Amino acid sequence: MNIGVSRRAFLKTAALSAAAVSLPLSIKATEKEPAKKMYGRKSSQTWCEMCFWGCGVTAHSKNGKVYKLEGQKLCPNNYGSLCAKGNAGVYQLYDPDRLKKPLIRVGKRGEGKFKEVSWEEATKYVADNLKKVIDSYKPRAVSLIAHGSGEHAFIKLMELIGSKNVAIPAYSQCMGSREIGWWLTYGAGFTGHEYGDGENAKCMMFLGRNVLESLQVGEAKKVINGLTKGSKLIYVDPRYSKTAAKADYYLQIRPGTDLALLLGMINFVIQNKLYNEKFVDEYCSGFEELKEAVKGYSLEWTANETDISPKDIADICYELAKAAPSCFIHPGRRLTRYGNDTQTVRAIGILNGLFGNWGYPGGFYAIQNPPIKTGEVCEVEHEEGCSCGRADGAGTDYKLAPSNLGRENGLFDAILSDKPYPVRAMIAYGTNFFQHYPNYETSKKIVDKLDFIVTCDIYMTETALYSDVVLPESTYLERQDPIVTQGDKYPFMQYREPATEPLFDTKGAWEISKMISEHMGFHEAKWKSIDEVNEEIIKKAGITLEQLKKDGCYVFPVTEGIYPQAEGKDLEFKTASGRVELYSGFLDKLGFDPIPKYERPKQAPIGQFRLLFGRMSYHTHARTQNNRWLLALHDYKVKVWINTKKAYELGINDGDNVVLRQGNKKSGILTAYLTDRIHPEAVFIPHGFGRLSEFMKSAYEMQGASDADFASNDVDPISGASAFQNAFVRVEKA
Amino acid sequence: MKKKYVMLYLIDRCIDCKACMVACKAQWEVPADHFRTHIDEREAPTRISNSRTYFLPSQCNHCDDAPCVHVCPTKASHKREDGIVLIDRSRCVGCKYCIPSCPYNARFFNEEAGVAEKCTFCLPRIAEGLKPACVTTCLSRTRIFGDINDPESEVSIVLKEAIKNKNKIWKLREDLGTEPNIYYIQS
Repeated sequence: MNIGVSRRAFLKTAALSAAAVSLPLSIKATEKEPAKKMYGRKSSQTWCEMCFWGCGVTAHSKNGKVYKLEGQKLCPNNYGSLCAKGNAGVYQLYDPDRLKKPLIRVGKRGEGKFKEVSWEEATKYVADNLKKVIDSYKPRAVSLIAHGSGEHAFIKLMELIGSKNVAIPAYSQCMGSREIGWWLTYGAGFTGHEYGDGENAKCMMFLGRNVLESLQVGEAKKVINGLTKGSKLIYVDPRYSKTAAKADYYLQIRPGTDLALLLGMINFVIQNKLYNEKFVDEYCSGFEELKEAVKGYSLEWTANETDISPKDIADICYELAKAAPSCFIHPGRRLTRYGNDTQTVRAIGILNGLFGNWGYPGGFYAIQNPPIKTGEVCEVEHEEGCSCGRADGAGTDYKLAPSNLGRENGLFDAILSDKPYPVRAMIAYGTNFFQHYPNYETSKKIVDKLDFIVTCDIYMTETALYSDVVLPESTYLERQDPIVTQGDKYPFMQYREPATEPLFDTKGAWEISKMISEHMGFHEAKWKSIDEVNEEIIKKAGITLEQLKKDGCYVFPVTEGIYPQAEGKDLEFKTASGRVELYSGFLDKLGFDPIPKYERPKQAPIGQFRLLFGRMSYHTHARTQNNRWLLALHDYKVKVWINTKKAYELGINDGDNVVLRQGNKKSGILTAYLTDRIHPEAVFIPHGFGRLSEFMKSAYEMQGASDADFASNDVDPISGASAFQNAFVRVEKA
Repeated sequence: MKKKYVMLYLIDRCIDCKACMVACKAQWEVPADHFRTHIDEREAPTRISNSRTYFLPSQCNHCDDAPCVHVCPTKASHKREDGIVLIDRSRCVGCKYCIPSCPYNARFFNEEAGVAEKCTFCLPRIAEGLKPACVTTCLSRTRIFGDINDPESEVSIVLKEAIKNKNKIWKLREDLGTEPNIYYIQS
């Protein structure tokens, strides 16, 4: 392993590879240098793109070189703080492994042979190849998967092409089941901006949400503030995570049995009249049916199923009841687990409904939307449109899956099977399906089926490696993007300006999309400049650009409406009944259980473990694993958590090199971490390792296991989203 | 009265997110595999499960009676009037005596610069009226920094409050008589 490259050597490499840009070799103020001698300092405003939460960032640079990122004090996403990832954005900017020039493949796919070309040549090549696919198979044969601030640029391009096959993996590979489960119960999704009122809560319960380690700074701050004020924390997870370390009740649940726990709790709450009768009468529908449906889930049955003691289950119900309605049970975040996920979220919704935690301080507050909308950089006079429908089954086979987000897993099924029609081109923006779609072999088959793949990213990810064209995007510190608006307790808008000139021959997504669009001959599209769009938005908001530039964000004032229940207003729910649907008539019509029913998920064969995966507080998805500052935080090791007793049975000691095995498939080397803090039936690995692309040198050298390579590809029948954690592995000494 | 800088860690708040470690690394160009501040895990018994994890930050304690200052043959390591223990890089000859002398393992050798290195309480930042990088970025407000000789400062107020509330307050290895200036507070 060649991980010991020094920081200075890295900075030199970065400087050398950016020969066109003049970079001073010494970028930091040495400790003795007085402040007043620091010429050429500049601050720029942006929002962080190390994850997708969008913390406000002020980038400090000196003589054109960014040396420090800090949180914007006013930004409600982070109020001045940045996490480890956010702070490590500087490394990403100067990472020598970044893509530097547009590339066209010359070798076989995945072989890693590319030639450097100009932007003109690259975008023309993309346009020509997309046109070829369109001519042979109609526009609908072009697909897009995208995630990040520039995704709208490529969505526009898809509108121009006239294909509806846009899939945002955040739905099927992450939050889909949660959104649908919440929508079925409350008539609206939970939205990306979590609205649990942590700072005022008296009790909080989290399942499927490692809130202090998945780390959305704003949300974590709310929770920590609540805990400091004395809120109780109930945390359910087969693994003792960092959130568990702060919990009053940590319940080590048998993996896959969350729904059993919730149904047992619902029954206990009803039987012991712990629910809010007034709220249930006034705002909920289907209470009698619910009562009847859950009465079989006794405390003893639940305890037996979940491995949690009857006393603990009763205790947490009392804790919640005591705190209600200043409490909430969080509906989870990445709900791609066991295939019953929509119903699990339904059960969480029902439990919250019984306690009446709605529009009340400490419960769920009402998200306030900004009074203005984000502008469009490209106006399309007439969309080509397509009457053909989507390939991924969103809205058809899976009636509840929204068509603006699509089902990436469904799209890939369509690519592989040519059904309902051939999809032969893919644009991947900022997303790397090799690391989030089950099984590398299947991912390679998807690649083989496609006539043309183009990836726009900042690294040579696995998807880029297997692409025909690679378009290097400028990082968030080098590019401009249109102002974004965000709804929350206090809605706000955020500004992004470049903190530095692009280091390499890279461009922003809007510029790239525009070039492709022009080469494709979409002259009817009116592309505006980002400045023009921003000007309109700022005018509508009634503020000045200077104001926005000073703070980086603008928070709209809100005086009422955050807590409608507490303010004595009538609550409105956008469900068919206008009430909280404990019994879902909609699900009944679609032929699903109107009230969640428990079925035991697939069980691990003897000698195997259920493979759990998740975040560490310092990595996002598969996009930060090449960042040495972050890798140094875990000593350049990827650990697999395994229960001590089970490990000894297998002859594995703490710190041993081990691999995961599934049939003939074997992972890279992991370091065994023996602990009682994981349920004996499961092992846990951090997401995003076990990489194929040697061009992300640090990530590649780290080895480890890719959860995606081992995950199951089950589908939740209601939402159509994936269920990854029905996968089982053996652990062996390497 | 002269300024005297100290730091408090409200350890109930720390979630081990490691933002402080990277903020410091970014600010001071700390060499690749090193950090000037760390977070350790400790176990404590509890009635809820068999044990409970705490996260304990650590860094240079800026001791009043600092062993690193005593052993330094060139006076590169010195104690400033404001309480900060600082290494003058131009005087450091890289003898490394100070590194094992520190009971808190707060120093390391910077191979590139050929000098001993550690936390400076972000001296150039505080000279500009900013807080140390780790304090600014700390999302749980675990770290509180300031002048303990100023009764109106946040550190003085929080410390007084902690004493009033009978919180557990301690410093690391007080038995050694180094008089550290980092206070651990647990409610």
